Amino acid sequence: MHRLLLSTAATLTLALPAFAQDVAVITPYLAQPGTQFYVDAFSERADALGWDVNVVDTAGDVAAVISRIEDAVTQGVDAIVINVDPAQVGAGLQVAADAGIPVVGMDAGSDPLLAVNVTSDGVEMAAETANFVIDAIGGAGNVVMFTFDPFPPVQIRGAEADRIFAEHDGITVIDRITPDVSDGGIADSRAQMEAVLAANPDAGSINAVWAAWDQPALGALQAIEAAGREGEGIVITGIDANPQARDEVAKGGNFKATVAQDFAGIGAAAADAVATLLDGGSFDSDAIFVPTVLITADNAAE
Amino acid sequence: MTLLRRSASLIGMVAIIVFFSVMKPATFPTLGNWLNISQQVSMLLVVSVAMTVVMAMGDFDLSVGAMASLAGVVAAVMFKAGFGMVPALGTALVVGVAAGVANGMLVSLAGILPFIATLATMTVLSGAAFIVSDGRTISGADIPAAFGDFARSGIAIGQDGTRVLRIPSLTIVALAVTAALWLVMEQTSYGRRLYAIGGNAEAARLAGVRVVALRLSAFVFTGAGAAIAGLMYASRVASANPIQGDGLMLTAIAAVFLGQSLTESGQPRVLATLAGVVVLGALDNGLTQMRVDSYVRQVLVGLIILLAVGASALARRRGRAG
Repeated sequence: MHRLLLSTAATLTLALPAFAQDVAVITPYLAQPGTQFYVDAFSERADALGWDVNVVDTAGDVAAVISRIEDAVTQGVDAIVINVDPAQVGAGLQVAADAGIPVVGMDAGSDPLLAVNVTSDGVEMAAETANFVIDAIGGAGNVVMFTFDPFPPVQIRGAEADRIFAEHDGITVIDRITPDVSDGGIADSRAQMEAVLAANPDAGSINAVWAAWDQPALGALQAIEAAGREGEGIVITGIDANPQARDEVAKGGNFKATVAQDFAGIGAAAADAVATLLDGGSFDSDAIFVPTVLITADNAAE
Repeated sequence: MTLLRRSASLIGMVAIIVFFSVMKPATFPTLGNWLNISQQVSMLLVVSVAMTVVMAMGDFDLSVGAMASLAGVVAAVMFKAGFGMVPALGTALVVGVAAGVANGMLVSLAGILPFIATLATMTVLSGAAFIVSDGRTISGADIPAAFGDFARSGIAIGQDGTRVLRIPSLTIVALAVTAALWLVMEQTSYGRRLYAIGGNAEAARLAGVRVVALRLSAFVFTGAGAAIAGLMYASRVASANPIQGDGLMLTAIAAVFLGQSLTESGQPRVLATLAGVVVLGALDNGLTQMRVDSYVRQVLVGLIILLAVGASALARRRGRAG
């Protein structure tokens, strides 16, 4: 046992070149596709800048994120990047702050203990699709909204769309629906949309469906197709550009647009933010917004 | 031979600590880092020593992780509803005790194998955690600041440069639970009887040990221990979600096995479990400090458990043959 351990130890030593540790990226969510895009883009930029990046995945364990932040602080890294709700890892952020090690959020949420959070602008994404809807229906018509106010990042999208629709006299919001999302959001949105269709049976009585994320948009699309009303020119928009939504947009049917967050852009911008901090710089605002991309039939296949 | 087996495991564990101390002399073998490790393993320690109680009887409790998750969300939901610290934490503990009683009844009265009974209650408790929390993470303003602050507090014992060294509150809770269970298991006839059941339940029964009642009661320790650990976890992350304690279960069983390889009789012992937990915590901490990839780390931890338990099993077999 003793000798075995020593030889394990020797192998470990050989396997690990003596790097100077620089930046720790700590996330509980590496298995999620979005997170992988962030981390890959971050690592690529970090390589170009000559840093040593240690990516730590705690496989869903948020308390372990705190532990690994503490370890990174003990190790004396130059900066830490997290991809988790900062409110849940405050204990670790405090340790980093006490040690004077900057922490950057990669789509993490804003927190006083973060130097800055790099993310997409939810307000901007909502404005983009709301304005798309208004243009597509010629500035006037009846709109059904799907929102979800209990979840803050989605709530701000709905609020921005409310504001934009209210500014246009020709636009009437005939229903503002909060679907039950416990099944993922598609099925209940479909059921709710079927009810709206039944209540507005005349062609042209519904001109558009604006959804604060893609699932309700997909549900509404299913309801419209099932009701045989796909020929009425009802315009549907979503947000997030998930693969199913992209497929529907590419088909050129009622689902006309969605918005893609630039995950790789967020990763690269997070690396740039770390570079700024390592050079002794700082940020005026608590968030850096990375531009998003409107996905329509023209670019959905890309 | 027993001495050799025990010392082999002990030497292995010490070697791990020495190895990290040599590799990271400035950051690993420091008081600050060990206080850190003590806090990082505090929740695992509570679940593991509670698990030791049922494993002493040769039983398991697979529901501890789900119970820890449930305790966290129960307290969080009550905070959200405006209840204070005492009723919220009290209710979570009562749920833990009740789950323990249920497990105990299924195993001892109904006679269902612990693996199956607690697998079923694990599923039930996990589902209950999702129902209670509505599948969401409860955090932010819903959680009283004092609850999250507890996990960040501690008793100041000195200064390391600009940093105040503290014995973390979570460490103190974990050590208190460990001390209490050590007393129960090692210093009372109750504990002796549990080991008697683990040795030979039928012989214990014939010797007048009330096997059914004792087995039932032992599961109350794991239920309550899991609830305490779940509350500690929720305090550490100042939030609760319905899966956050789930990972504790397998690691706790691993810690008990690891500790078992140290004991004279190959039985689970509270202090041996403590050693197992410390080694697992040191591995996580040390390998992170050495920048070992987190997936490689997981493989290594698994292999080291196999090595320790395997070496001990081999030595025992050879001891018996020779």
